[in-house]
Amino acid sequence: MVKRSSFKIFLAVQNALFLRELSMRFSSGRMGIFWTFFEPFFQILIFVLIKLLLFGSEENSFDFAIFLALNFTAFNLFKNIVVKSTASFKANKALFLYKQVKPIDTIIARSMVEVFITSIIIVIFLSLGFYFDFDMNIEDLSMVTFGFVWLILFSLALGVFMAVLNVFVDSIGKLINFFMTALMFSSAVFYSVDILPIDIQGWIMYNPLSHFMEIIHGFYFDSLDDHLVSYDYILAWTLSLLYIGLWLYIKLEKRIISS
Amino acid sequence: MITLKNVSKSFKTKRGRKYILKNMSIVIPSDKNIGILGRNGTGKSTIMRMLGQIEFPDKGTILSDKSFSWPLGLSGGFVGNMTGKANIKFVCRLYGKSPKEINEIVNFVKLFSELDDYFDMPIKTYSSGMKSRLSFGLSLSFDFDYLLIDETLSVGDARFRKKSKEALMKKIESCNVLLVSHDMGTLRDICDVGIVVNKGKMSYFDNINSAIDEYVRINS
Repeated sequence: MVKRSSFKIFLAVQNALFLRELSMRFSSGRMGIFWTFFEPFFQILIFVLIKLLLFGSEENSFDFAIFLALNFTAFNLFKNIVVKSTASFKANKALFLYKQVKPIDTIIARSMVEVFITSIIIVIFLSLGFYFDFDMNIEDLSMVTFGFVWLILFSLALGVFMAVLNVFVDSIGKLINFFMTALMFSSAVFYSVDILPIDIQGWIMYNPLSHFMEIIHGFYFDSLDDHLVSYDYILAWTLSLLYIGLWLYIKLEKRIISS
Repeated sequence: MITLKNVSKSFKTKRGRKYILKNMSIVIPSDKNIGILGRNGTGKSTIMRMLGQIEFPDKGTILSDKSFSWPLGLSGGFVGNMTGKANIKFVCRLYGKSPKEINEIVNFVKLFSELDDYFDMPIKTYSSGMKSRLSFGLSLSFDFDYLLIDETLSVGDARFRKKSKEALMKKIESCNVLLVSHDMGTLRDICDVGIVVNKGKMSYFDNINSAIDEYVRINS
């Protein structure tokens, strides 16, 4: 057999896993596909309705529907990367039979599938936005993109950590959905932090996800900014998670493969 | 050549640690078809998995410049809700095959496994015999130095068993096998040399018949 370089092997494995994950996502029945692409619309619809009921048609300085579309896209991306990664080692155990498949490969491939699906959703949102003549001016596209890329890195770091835990602690997989719901309410997804009372703002900003949301919508809308964001704080979170996650993974990789 | 250096492998059980290999050093020469013998539970399959690098020794190292297949056995690394064809394509991509090669392999496996319509149905609808036919056909399409075989030959109906044995005999003209089996006839037919696993030790015999004699001796 011809020897391949380890980078070539990595690319072949990623290619195989990506296509496999994608076909699994789309072969899971019509409801699965439907829900993947329409979940964000339902989320927007529900929160627009809630706002109408609670506050009437009071005007914001920005379009609330676009605000929700942006934030839910980012939050769902985070949620899906972390949830799929957490289950990744257990779900792909059969594949570790092939020695070139390392457990962490399955996390990378799954996350890439999520990024791919999110890009399709963004394209759908943009087309609808242009078609219905929404005002979609972006204050600073490069900072919004920067926020998304950093969020993906943060999600990956958390995903690796959770995936390792999930192999050795049984209940993690069940807790994660509850954890995600709690995060959705405390992460500035359907509100911006500066409309909250001052003493609550401090608490909300302990949640690193709120910082990412504030960066993303802060640089999207002219009327919002990032003055509450502490870049050092989320850098510390990202690096610590990445360090702990990878350290645990390297220590336990062999046990994960043969578990 | 496969070199084991001070290899230890053990499992924790409720009644203390059970050793599969204890501080074992052995050199297994190249270009031989190797049969692995041992009673149930002595760790033959674990040793095979260690050679395939999907299980690792607690201590020591296993070195070889040869390529090993994945362990071919009853439970292949297939995904239940994907079709047989999709699974074959997946494994081909893992090994970096080009689209043209993938096409050839898919056609070969379809023909060899005789799955007909089932080839395009999800694996979860397969019987275990059908699964191993697919897995065996797939393994014949790759050029490994060693095929790791864990009792695969004993599944399927009589006709398919005969066919796969013939295919394997043809295959081992260009590669070697490491075969775990309890069927002495198969071992004699295919293997040149033997390894008997017993009480944390591997003993190498340069003739399969003397390995079988030793195996019979420890069994009686």
